[in-house]
Amino acid sequence: MRLPERFFSRLLLAYLPFMVYPYDLFRAGAAAVWVVVFLWVTVFSFWFTRRLFPGRSIKHAFFLWLIVWAQAAWTLTRLPPHWVLSVFFLMPVSFLDAEAKPGHIRVFSREVPRYFFERALGGSAFVIFVMVMVFVREAGEKKFGIRLFEQPAGPLFVAAGMAFLWKKTHRFSWG
Amino acid sequence: MYSLIIALGFILALRGGRPAPLERPLEGLARVWLDAADLFLTTGLILALEAMALALDGSREFAREYALLGFGLGAYLLSRYQKKTDAFFLAAAVIVFTIHERQNDLLSALSLAWVTSAGIGIFQTGFLGLRYRLLFSRVPVSARGWPALCLLAGCLSAVLWSAGRLIF
Repeated sequence: MRLPERFFSRLLLAYLPFMVYPYDLFRAGAAAVWVVVFLWVTVFSFWFTRRLFPGRSIKHAFFLWLIVWAQAAWTLTRLPPHWVLSVFFLMPVSFLDAEAKPGHIRVFSREVPRYFFERALGGSAFVIFVMVMVFVREAGEKKFGIRLFEQPAGPLFVAAGMAFLWKKTHRFSWG
Repeated sequence: MYSLIIALGFILALRGGRPAPLERPLEGLARVWLDAADLFLTTGLILALEAMALALDGSREFAREYALLGFGLGAYLLSRYQKKTDAFFLAAAVIVFTIHERQNDLLSALSLAWVTSAGIGIFQTGFLGLRYRLLFSRVPVSARGWPALCLLAGCLSAVLWSAGRLIF
């Protein structure tokens, strides 16, 4: 059984905005947790309300929601809005696909826990991924004094190594 | 700012628009620079609108308090008008916000928008060229896809960083 490569691509794309944050491990971790919590709240909210949006307006509503929350997070915590890109890349593709139609799934069906379990697993993987990348960057830059980690080249080389290992060793499936 | 250019250049190279056919690099090159010009015009227009809102008494308070909201809505509407992708809209909003945090003067802000767009264009040009060369190379199966893409982006970042330090 294999993990789909597209999952790694979403993780990596969602991590890229974190290269811009000059945060240490703790603050980067807090920002990643915020991204995941926001993602879960967004998925939860839109899952149950998506039938209320006529036509393709759900996409407009999603981006308006993102912008409003980016403003709120900046006003309250001074968190720069780069994290909205991470949320965008982690969102389930079907939410923003104009061709996708809402499935007729009951609120209390078995599909719902499975769906949310997958989102929870994806979110946790993202936090771990960000923490590992920031840890490696900090160690490379501050402890070992590798100058490549002062700029995006270092994290990108680490990401290349992780992508290589991912292709080589992924063993289980998301179901 | 350099990290922003590389991160957004990488994102836009992969998700910024219709994928340019690697077999026709000149067509891809034209698209890259058209997109860079669009990015500069979009960010520049939003920065100019913000400067105008700050100059007017009626809108000054709103423009100060809810700058990010204005940037986001401006980027969204302009991107939709140009039929750009969602990644383009988010990238434009993030760039405008970053410039707004660094520069208060409109002329300096526009210069920074130009530098950022040109930097993204240069990164994407190099990335396209390296991907084109890769077509004629024997890449092991396990290194194809994301490992090769990250490696190319990393090499390009290191080269541009060194070139930038030499020039400036």
